[in-house]
Amino acid sequence: MNLAPSDERQHGFTLVELLVALGIFLVITGAAFSLLGTSQKHYQTESQLLTSFQEARLGLDQIVRDVNDAGYPPPTFWDGVQADSASSPFAWSTGAGYPPPGSCQIGTGGGGTCTTATAGDTAPGDFDLIIETNPNPQDPSCVPNCHVQWIRYQLQNTTPLPTLMRGVSAKTNGDPDTITAGQLVPFVQNIVNTQVVQNVTNPLVAQYQAAYPNIFPGGAPVPIFSYTCDNSSPPPQTVLCLGAVGTDNSPANIRDVMITLIVAAPLPDATTGQPRLVMLNGRGRRINPNQ
Amino acid sequence: MSARRQIQTKRTEEGIALLISIFILLLISIVAIALIVASGTESSLAGNYRSATGVYYAALGGLEEARGRLLTNSASSFKSTAPAGFLPSPGTALQLGYVRFVVNPGPGDGNVLTTYLDNNYLTEFTAGPSDTKTTASIWTSPPLNTSLNFPGPLYKWVRINAVSEQWLRQGLGQDVFPFDGTIDPTPLFYDGTKLTDDPSSGSQVLEITSLAVLPNGSQKLLQYLIAPGPIALPPFLATLTLSGSPGNGVTFHAPASNSSYAVKGDDYNCSNPPAPSGGNPHAAIGVLTDSNSDIVHVKNGIPTAYQPNYTGVNNPGPYVPDVEDISSSFLPLSLQSPSNLDGLAQSIIQNADAVVITPASSGTPPYLGTATGAALTPLGMSSTNPLTVIVNGNLDISNWSSDGYGLLLVTGTFSYDPDTNWYGIILVIGQGVVHNSQNGQNKQINGAMLVAKTRDLNNQVLAGSNLGGATVQFLDGMGGTGMRYSSCWIQKAQPKGKYKILSFREISQ
Repeated sequence: MNLAPSDERQHGFTLVELLVALGIFLVITGAAFSLLGTSQKHYQTESQLLTSFQEARLGLDQIVRDVNDAGYPPPTFWDGVQADSASSPFAWSTGAGYPPPGSCQIGTGGGGTCTTATAGDTAPGDFDLIIETNPNPQDPSCVPNCHVQWIRYQLQNTTPLPTLMRGVSAKTNGDPDTITAGQLVPFVQNIVNTQVVQNVTNPLVAQYQAAYPNIFPGGAPVPIFSYTCDNSSPPPQTVLCLGAVGTDNSPANIRDVMITLIVAAPLPDATTGQPRLVMLNGRGRRINPNQ
Repeated sequence: MSARRQIQTKRTEEGIALLISIFILLLISIVAIALIVASGTESSLAGNYRSATGVYYAALGGLEEARGRLLTNSASSFKSTAPAGFLPSPGTALQLGYVRFVVNPGPGDGNVLTTYLDNNYLTEFTAGPSDTKTTASIWTSPPLNTSLNFPGPLYKWVRINAVSEQWLRQGLGQDVFPFDGTIDPTPLFYDGTKLTDDPSSGSQVLEITSLAVLPNGSQKLLQYLIAPGPIALPPFLATLTLSGSPGNGVTFHAPASNSSYAVKGDDYNCSNPPAPSGGNPHAAIGVLTDSNSDIVHVKNGIPTAYQPNYTGVNNPGPYVPDVEDISSSFLPLSLQSPSNLDGLAQSIIQNADAVVITPASSGTPPYLGTATGAALTPLGMSSTNPLTVIVNGNLDISNWSSDGYGLLLVTGTFSYDPDTNWYGIILVIGQGVVHNSQNGQNKQINGAMLVAKTRDLNNQVLAGSNLGGATVQFLDGMGGTGMRYSSCWIQKAQPKGKYKILSFREISQ
């Protein structure tokens, strides 16, 4: 018998060959798993940011819709009942002169005369807005009949990051500021437009702002709400409320509400440790007349 | 055979590379798919926002088209482009239950009113429409859909209908001014400041509702309430109002040999021929002056024998002929300045149905050209189609044997002979001169007439706060039966301003 072929078949890999093969395999597998791990972290970070983005986008859409409908039904529908028609597209505190023909001056950075009962807060202001409208008059579940509502958006300092709150309450003869204040519920979380919310500083926001100097030029807060007003002196035009003079700069005269939401992901980037932010811009335009 | 097995053994030993390749490929694929899913969600979020914004503006485009085409002086107004009866004739209201649609079908939509049913109407009104008419949108009409082939907004239809007190507050009803305690099923009107159900005190309120649907299925339903903003006219306190002021005497000369010529401040109705309506009488001739000499001067222009023909608010009595100083009740008082009254004329010009431009004359100052009645004939004025007609210059309607309806504003000299009945308002603001060159037939002016001089011979607005003296100078032999005050015709001839948005809302679907 010829045993030579049998001897050949029993030739396996040498130990060196096996070690080299195993080494190569481990290096490749290690690289692959490391890539996978990095990708997973990226995915985790991105999906968190995406969730924040999605929340903020839904919030922005709702604010824009409410602003578009502000002032419905207008004062021309007046029938003697306060709650049947809007006195003004945007409300403010009774202490600051609500209802019309009372008025207040819109300011920024806590300025102006549209002050509220909360220290460091003005409505309408950079981080607070009260819309007066009948939001869904034909909703069959709105029984027996929906009246005009005050819809309020207010930034409050919460832990770890501030939260934009939303509250709805029926229009009455009372103070829009104090009545809506008790109705506010969380709406969009992790808003980092400003470090100082209602005179309270949130230290975490400072870190976020420091990481994104382009979003916060000079470290200044970015108002959530900024406003344009109708200019009564000819030619008719829309100007920034802050630049409008006299009664032109008043909540009843607001035409556009520009909305800027800067939202942080709940956790920093898993790979770099950097906070992640997303900025959304929107604009609502009031069409209803203010008188 | 053994050689083949050897080869096979070697082949199986080479498979480790393939396995590693497949494994790595798998890992990379998982990562890639995860990234694609993440970016896909982000894209669809942004896409949703884009389509929500797009459909909002598409619906708004429909609302604005309907609002613009309701204006009678718009190039594509419903009056000239929609089927007959689409809108009610001027002075009458669109009835409740009458529904008008502007349809804007896209390719493959067929009949948009059945493809995209109007489910909203029945949520607002208890009964369905009793009369429906449709017209095409400008985007589905030439030239936009032919030579220009311009893609329009993706709204499907716009509905136009009347509303009532019953409609207000989502069909629960709401009493509006005058607060009579009943929820009336009659059309609503807008008087410039508030809603009312009194048809005599304003313009009708219309509801326009627009549905937009994008190819991806996004839908939006938006709604306006609109009404023409009123244009403030000077008050008509007399059948014939003449401007005068200290140093600018007024001139009035009645036809001295025509016993039928009369200027009556008693209120006449809109019937044909107009008959006394029993409404509040006004002055026969009112003069804007603080000088009694102007009053005397006007009275002296009326032959003594025919002075009883000039009756009005203070008749009978010592006030025949009824020529009165109305300057204290001609409000606002600021209108009695040349610049303000001339400015009011300009605002009427901006909202006119037709403006007749006359070529400049090289004759004598103020170098105004003259239009004749032939320029008015093509306008198609009728009792159901009163128009706001402007003549920038002189107007001579001598021998124009047609009748005029609506508001006529002449900035130069108005040559009138009684071959023409005029139903409505005649304003001669500018040079403030009325005369005649033909004696004409026996027709008359029904409504009110105001003659005011606001410009000098060079056609510049008079400086200062005093109006110039108006001139109404008729030949002794002129025919005609004169002028009759008619609040009904004054109302019908009111010019319409642009449609104001009274309210806006987005309807949840």
